[in-house]
Amino acid sequence: MEERPPAERGSFGRGFGGRGDRGGRGGRGDRGGRGRRRSGRKEEEEKWVPVTKLGRLVKDGKISSVEQIYLHSLPIKEYQIIDTLIGPILKDEVMKITPVQKQTRAGQRTRFKAFVVVGDGNGHVGLGVKCAKEVATAIRGSIILAKLSIIPVRRGYWGNKIGKPHTVPCKVTGKCGSVTVRMVPAPRGAGIVAARVPKKVLQFAGIEDVFTSSRGSTKTLGNFVKATFDCLLKTYGFLTPDFWKETRFIRSPFQEYTDLLAKPTSKVLITEVHED
Amino acid sequence: MSAMGDSTEKLKGVHISSLDEDDEVEEVVEEGDDSEEEGEPVTLGFLEKTKNHWSLSRHVFPSKAGGVPAWLDPVNLPSGRSCVCDICEEPLQFLLQIYAPITEKESTFHRTLFVFMCPSMSCLLRDQHEQWKRGQEKPSRSVKVFRCQLPCSNPFYSSEAPRNDGTDKPSGSGGTTIDCAIALRSTRIPSIEVSLCNWCGTWKGDKVCSGCKRTKYCSHKHQVVHWRSGHKIDCQQLSLLVDSSSISNALWPEYEMINDDESEYDAEVSDYNIPPNSLVSTNKMDDTMNSLLDIFEVNSDKKCWASFQQRIARAPEQVLRYCRNASAKPLWPMSSGQPSKADIPNCCYCGGPSDFEFQILPQLLFYFGVKNDADSLDWATIVVYTCKSSCEASMAYKEEFPWVQLYPTSAI
Repeated sequence: MEERPPAERGSFGRGFGGRGDRGGRGGRGDRGGRGRRRSGRKEEEEKWVPVTKLGRLVKDGKISSVEQIYLHSLPIKEYQIIDTLIGPILKDEVMKITPVQKQTRAGQRTRFKAFVVVGDGNGHVGLGVKCAKEVATAIRGSIILAKLSIIPVRRGYWGNKIGKPHTVPCKVTGKCGSVTVRMVPAPRGAGIVAARVPKKVLQFAGIEDVFTSSRGSTKTLGNFVKATFDCLLKTYGFLTPDFWKETRFIRSPFQEYTDLLAKPTSKVLITEVHED
Repeated sequence: MSAMGDSTEKLKGVHISSLDEDDEVEEVVEEGDDSEEEGEPVTLGFLEKTKNHWSLSRHVFPSKAGGVPAWLDPVNLPSGRSCVCDICEEPLQFLLQIYAPITEKESTFHRTLFVFMCPSMSCLLRDQHEQWKRGQEKPSRSVKVFRCQLPCSNPFYSSEAPRNDGTDKPSGSGGTTIDCAIALRSTRIPSIEVSLCNWCGTWKGDKVCSGCKRTKYCSHKHQVVHWRSGHKIDCQQLSLLVDSSSISNALWPEYEMINDDESEYDAEVSDYNIPPNSLVSTNKMDDTMNSLLDIFEVNSDKKCWASFQQRIARAPEQVLRYCRNASAKPLWPMSSGQPSKADIPNCCYCGGPSDFEFQILPQLLFYFGVKNDADSLDWATIVVYTCKSSCEASMAYKEEFPWVQLYPTSAI
């Protein structure tokens, strides 16, 4: 903290808005600013200060899994929420980087569009698309967007309900642009019978066996990958007889978080991703 | 596969693919990447725990958040209706204060802005309706901002800069007692302070406990609360000393506010390199994040949120953004709930226009450790508009206009 003799029109100390007088950067140096901040990037990673209420709950550790957020359809606005909940096991892959151009008077302005899929191989996938002037920026941005768009994927059985679910629960289809992707349950050991692009997405989703069929201009990777994503989105949207029982809604994380540990009564709670 | 390794591979692939496929000439989807308006220089506020308690006393002109306010003018405190929430009639709680002098005018040599708020979320929700009202009569708010300014020579502080080493104020307890005797000895400043409420330590304590006649309160409500939480026992003891430790711990934790230019944090962004094996990206983003257009729906709220996140990401711990220039615009998290020019009333004292001065960000709630229940306090931002000319009026503490933007309520 510096001591300054009072100028005629100045004021004391380091108030807000007093910058112009001191010519900008002068005052900061004496104090060393918040020098700790400049030392390393590593500190940034832990220094997430949540901005939303959900973020604060997650940072406090009151929410243990993403399923609690899905159950109440709360919008996830900060990607660090996903990082904290399933971050360590999340894998990502860049599907494609395409240059896109815009015509300007001075020629063409080229930017790069990156498609990134993230997933944990166990029922969560996300897709991110980002366009930016540099490839690295586009990849970084699309990873963040992919994390924000993570959805749960429902898996089921083809025949006997033995072991863990391994395929889609029913025939579902997704569409984007002219591309439609249809997924059909397959027996164990069939593997993912799909083109290279949707196969990647389905591997990240944790689906082990599936038959697929696609139509339309699958050459457009953007639409193809969005169509499979849309298809996976629908797996939980399909009403099957297991959901006929009335759900007893447990309280939102914004209410008593301890109630989430309460035992269910005779009614069914949709908290489990797996079916048994 | 690591993102970096794959991208260099793809980078080679990029050149090949541009020959035959996907050489799109994009429609003008103006994402605003190039037109990154920096606007005016913004000063950011950060919170730090203080090491010494004298650095938050009013003699050193602090900027602080939480705890009790360090009143600039210690005598003519706001009273009556200004101290209470207009909706629930509870006394308001101190949120933060910033020392923001204006160097161009003599009368604003010292200038501090105080923000008070009712900690109840239901009041805040009703306050939303009130702030949209444009009528002539004063709306009933639950968030209030006061401005206090003093010229260089004034009856409360000396004209010399504070030494900031602990000797600027009497080393006694906080501001609940009259400390003129000690003050006269050390700094030659007449220091007749008004007694503050024993429970909140915030407002003037003009009401006295009828039992011991020594404990002062600002309102009946605080007297009741203090009575129930221990004063009932202490009241009759004759050797009672008025101690500041009886201040309620319902107050928000105290921090000092440090300010830094936002431009300091820009410089670091360009030094950034992707670490080789990073799967998880870090907070830094040097380009805009507003291509949520590419994901399934176009939403102006999402775009606004994305650019808000990107701006915040340069310094994620900021709690306050200050910019008093004429063309300054606040950084809105949401596109809904923004005021138009007509929604911001003129200064009620001089009738002149009000301009944006600073905004408070929701990171503050995290630092205060506010609970996260369904009915606990939450906002997207609080934007404060103040009189453009920082007028003088007969009152020491003049009210300014805060605008609260809340997050849209989600399911359940």
